[in-house]
Amino acid sequence: MSAGAIWAVIAGMAVANFAIRFPSLAILSRAELPEWLRRWLSYIPVSAMATLVVGGIARPEGEWLPPLENPYMWASLVTGVVYWRSRSFLGATAVGIVAFLALRAVLG
Amino acid sequence: MRPTTLAKQEPCPSRRARFVRGAGLGLPIFLGYLPIGAAFGVVARGLGFSALQAIGCSATVLAGAGQLIALKLIEAGASVLAVVVTTSVVNLRYVLFGAAMSPHVTGLPLAGQAYLAFTLTDETFAVNIDDNRKRTADAWSMAGVGAIAWTGWVLGTAVGALAAGAIGDPTRFGVQFAMPAMFAALLVAQAEDRRHVSVAVLAAVLAAVLMIALPEPWYLIAAPMLAATIATVVDR
Repeated sequence: MSAGAIWAVIAGMAVANFAIRFPSLAILSRAELPEWLRRWLSYIPVSAMATLVVGGIARPEGEWLPPLENPYMWASLVTGVVYWRSRSFLGATAVGIVAFLALRAVLG
Repeated sequence: MRPTTLAKQEPCPSRRARFVRGAGLGLPIFLGYLPIGAAFGVVARGLGFSALQAIGCSATVLAGAGQLIALKLIEAGASVLAVVVTTSVVNLRYVLFGAAMSPHVTGLPLAGQAYLAFTLTDETFAVNIDDNRKRTADAWSMAGVGAIAWTGWVLGTAVGALAAGAIGDPTRFGVQFAMPAMFAALLVAQAEDRRHVSVAVLAAVLAAVLMIALPEPWYLIAAPMLAATIATVVDR
């Protein structure tokens, strides 16, 4: 890709990303939301995180990995448990990456 | 956010103190983004980005997974339009995130909302939602979370782009697990009670099914919407 095309990609992504993130936040913050919509939105964070976890472990790097050979899955479990017990975001992430490296060495 | 500091004993802290508190909350995001940003910088340089382009991309786009997918598409020879459209689909979930943030940014001036929208990522979203639920968040703390996350992402990219030769293959260091690790911790943070745990399980199952049933990135927005809809209907 040429330098000009790369700049075009960057500009396009920058504009698109902001256009995706801003309107819903700005418009809905000025509206009186009905109770059902508030409740619906309250379920979005946990649903979205669960989706991201599944996407990140089932098909890391674009390919399906069988469970027993999947360091992403087991290391995510370790990370989640460490966070649950410690409530430390930083500690859980750090332990998770170490667990990932160890598991990858073992599982190949 | 309306003042909800009743639970806290101290008198209303200054803007700066609240901003710094937010930056502290976001510190793990900063540390997580450093290596992923560096990986982006290394790979981008390998695909013909100049250091300035790599850093400029991170500074203006601020989309971890979206940027890495863009690189894969460029590597595969995709057109400019194809890259922009595909990464936009990957990032459509931010429409939902913006909507879910909206009750917490009422009364803020448009410029402040624009800043918070610009710094809205999976991780800043989850941290700010969690902090709002604890009633300790306000506009300045959320601004701090966003600022530290942006800094980590841009700084990491700069390190990767400028020292690409010295770093080599970033996957040696387990960089590719930094993002899944943050997601796993942030998922547990969101699963506050039994109801939310049930919704998480539901969303996880739906995500697994929709990953197979739908073309590549669409499960990212379809699974959360469907899970939230089922939860809202069931929980009446």
